[in-house]
Amino acid sequence: MTSLVTASGVSKHFGAVRAVDNVSFDIEKGRILGLIGPNGAGKTTLLKALLGLTECDGDLSVLGLDPFRQRKKLMQQICFIADVAVLPRWIKVSQALDFVEAIHPNFTRSRAEELLKQTKVQPGAKVKELSKGMVTQLHLSIIMAIDAKLLVLDEPTLGLDILFRKEFYANLLNDYFDEERTILITTHQVEEIENLLTDIMFINDGKILLDSTMDELGETYIEVMTSGENAQKARGLGPVAEAEMFGKSVMLFEGVSREHLEGFGEIRIPSVADLFVAKIKEARR
Amino acid sequence: MDPKWNEDQPIYRQLRDRVVAMILEGVLADGDALPSVRNVAAEYRLNPLTVLKGYQELVDEGLVEKKRGRGMFVNDGARTQLLKDERERFLNKEWPKVRATIERLGLDPVQLLESPVSKAAGDKNND
Repeated sequence: MTSLVTASGVSKHFGAVRAVDNVSFDIEKGRILGLIGPNGAGKTTLLKALLGLTECDGDLSVLGLDPFRQRKKLMQQICFIADVAVLPRWIKVSQALDFVEAIHPNFTRSRAEELLKQTKVQPGAKVKELSKGMVTQLHLSIIMAIDAKLLVLDEPTLGLDILFRKEFYANLLNDYFDEERTILITTHQVEEIENLLTDIMFINDGKILLDSTMDELGETYIEVMTSGENAQKARGLGPVAEAEMFGKSVMLFEGVSREHLEGFGEIRIPSVADLFVAKIKEARR
Repeated sequence: MDPKWNEDQPIYRQLRDRVVAMILEGVLADGDALPSVRNVAAEYRLNPLTVLKGYQELVDEGLVEKKRGRGMFVNDGARTQLLKDERERFLNKEWPKVRATIERLGLDPVQLLESPVSKAAGDKNND
């Protein structure tokens, strides 16, 4: 079994609110999974459960451990960047490295220092003196120096400019990711990461709307741009979504073969953002 | 540089086409190394598996060879093979359409060769 994470019937309630509602999924080794959902969909709660930071109902196993009860053991093999700043403002960069070095057995300080040398972050600077982008670079340098099996990134590039965001993902792919590691990313900026992913999961109102590999996604969902008589015929095949553009109909199909659709018009691969919108609408119907 | 991917083909296929174009244009010559999977993935922010899949297509077509531990290299004769394939494709798929258009418009070979555009192209080739 190569599953790194197994969730079966996992739920988390806050009073009457079901933040995570009976979800089941697997994450395999060597994958890059994107967890996509609107605000309040339950993404962060689910991540917290995976990291053992919150208790939940159901069966959840991460690296073969129960995250909540065996958090200490789990923390030695995973690392994460939270969507909120966690570094205290008064700490110096070098002190932050001292701290991680003291608490994390799999942290290689020289590696972090090497990565920081490529940035403008000075070892003597305090966190409060750094720009938002530089704080993210510091975070990334620290976690990339930790030999972990699972890396969890919660909105890692939120509030960063386009240059920093591109560099962030380029660094991750160049200096960190390999087939022994697994990365889980949540973000609002789907367009930016969709080509990076091997797997994708949509979550809304605490439920999983879609759980698929990117390869399967490309085979299952196909867009056709069509008009007139062909549009009528295509509509008969039951598109899951339809939009008008320049007098043409763009229809999204699920599970209809490419060969079958080719005769009706121009075939396109839908963007993840378009798919997401279609799936949310479908769920609300 | 950021490439613009289009929506009608999977990215691995577009990557394959780009390498093919580079071989045809002579940017990549016989025996040249392809950029490493890791570099391409990081540069374009693509999943490494996507890049690998694109490269694998080239291996399957016999254009590129994988050398263990060293990376991917353009095979000897790759450009010649591609040119042959492209010529065949043009003659079998595109030329019949062009020819049909020429016939429909009633153009004769002399007119075609003396049109300003083809004259310019011809002059250029003679340089």
